[in-house]
Amino acid sequence: MKMTSRERVAEAMALRQPDRVPLMCQFSIGAMMHQLKPSPAEFWYDGRLFAIGLTELCERFSFDGILVSLHGHSPTWRDNIQSIKNVGEGEQVLIFQDRTEIHSWDDLPLVKYNIKSKKPDIDSIDPDRDIPDTIDYIPVSQDLYFKIDPNHKFDIFDYIEELTGGRYSVHGEITSPFDYLLDMLGYEEGLVSLIMNPDKCKVILERFTKGISQLAQEMCGYNIDAIKISSPFAGMGFISPEHYSEFVLPYEKEIIRAIKERGKFVYIHTCGHIDDRLELMMESGASGLECLDPPPVGNVDLANAFTRVGESMFIKGNIDSVNTLLYADDERARQDVLKIIEEGKEGKGFILSTACSIAPKVTSERLEMLSTLVKEEGSY
Amino acid sequence: MENFIDKISLCIERGKINLESPYPPDLKGEPGADELTRDALLSGVPAGDILTKAMIPAMGIVGELFREKKLFVPQVLMSAKAMNLAMKHLKPYFTSGELTKKGVFIIGTVSGDLHDIGKNLVSMMIEGSGWRVIDLGVDVKSDSFINAAKENPGSVLGMSALLTTTMESMERSVKDIRDKLPHQKIIVGGAPLNSDFASRIGANLYAPNPQSAIEYLTLCQ
Repeated sequence: MKMTSRERVAEAMALRQPDRVPLMCQFSIGAMMHQLKPSPAEFWYDGRLFAIGLTELCERFSFDGILVSLHGHSPTWRDNIQSIKNVGEGEQVLIFQDRTEIHSWDDLPLVKYNIKSKKPDIDSIDPDRDIPDTIDYIPVSQDLYFKIDPNHKFDIFDYIEELTGGRYSVHGEITSPFDYLLDMLGYEEGLVSLIMNPDKCKVILERFTKGISQLAQEMCGYNIDAIKISSPFAGMGFISPEHYSEFVLPYEKEIIRAIKERGKFVYIHTCGHIDDRLELMMESGASGLECLDPPPVGNVDLANAFTRVGESMFIKGNIDSVNTLLYADDERARQDVLKIIEEGKEGKGFILSTACSIAPKVTSERLEMLSTLVKEEGSY
Repeated sequence: MENFIDKISLCIERGKINLESPYPPDLKGEPGADELTRDALLSGVPAGDILTKAMIPAMGIVGELFREKKLFVPQVLMSAKAMNLAMKHLKPYFTSGELTKKGVFIIGTVSGDLHDIGKNLVSMMIEGSGWRVIDLGVDVKSDSFINAAKENPGSVLGMSALLTTTMESMERSVKDIRDKLPHQKIIVGGAPLNSDFASRIGANLYAPNPQSAIEYLTLCQ
């Protein structure tokens, strides 16, 4: 029986076999810009425009679901901008009192602060004073934050429901407490603090966990099927499995429990090399795993991952966005994706997706190839 | 003397920076790289021996373990901190000319990219292997790389990019550098890169980890 997109993804997340392998890739901001060519600043700040873009791309490439990577867009986003200049095709410079933002079709905005503030020393942090009860920002990338408007935290999900009528599987995204910690202290000092001041790190992580759990629970009140917890610095490229167990796992576990209590699926995403910690990730209680970068970006073998964690977790992955979608020739790209579909079908719950986000310059033809292949070869 | 050399090596390998540092727990209360280097010099251990028999080999071991994913970034950062503290005691010997650096390595994150985690880690490891490092920071334009290379003939350039879009600025920068300095040695690195990309844009090496860069630099000496 033919399933709807939403049913197809839900079946896979529940570790049941859908009619065919669902397809749901997450777009990087640059990939969305590259495809849609919007006003880049508006696309970043305007929730309705962002929702229209996400929906349009999902439909254009016959994806079965939409990952909403940003939420909390403020309708009054223009209020603090001193000037907006169009400086070339697809490039805008926004001047704020404290910073300049360069928005372009290339990728994430580039932010340059007038005075770069020094990250606080861990000893000077008072968690009660310095970490808000309500999480009001998303640490998107180095020096790039997305402010969550407290009065419009999740409007984006309403916009998407309005646009799609609930046809697709819509997933929200939150960031791991570990990332908030590293962002707060600066990456290097944050990582050193795991060794030099582990107890204080744990107090900070607990505090962030409380706020993030609250945010995730509120998100569950909207018409979404799952939440992704993004934790890009929790892989082998950064920390040991012991540090993962100590500083990532307990906190993500608590958030996962809170989300599952609200009846939603939850999956965790860590980039790069994670083969040594798949079982630890399973211990988190998450419904699924996303990413699982294959070599050379990561070191996960999909078939092996299914044998290790596939009985209790769905896997969403693991196409190499750079080496397969961006740089490989047509035949190699086709073969790479076919192999993943074949291996994925052997698992209990599988969603075909790029490992990390679709790289900005991946062509439309490559993305169309994914839906063609999944329709031709993805049936169970 | 060997006792000092062994102890300084151990402190750098294990990331024991000084007496106060509680890390690693089994060396708590013991002197670290800072005190031991000072005491070794006071005891007459030649600065050159401390550098070449203790510090550089220890950082080499750290780099190798990191490449094999047996050590992780927090531990490597602690080793780099221990190395830096020990190195401060050797500064007068570099100033006087008794000790010399192996060469100059210039590094920066390419234009349009503000990420510096990888770049900083590579800088620390290369400095720890005995090279002078000139860090141009992030969002570095081609001209800055070219000017720094011109000011330091014989130097090796390192370029970092974390984003697929900034791989394009890396390609542009390598081309700009090759136009002005055709024989300039260039190492590239960053999560989305690979050796095919490095060859295609005309870089001399793709370094997937700091130790690979150090091995190439050793060949360049």
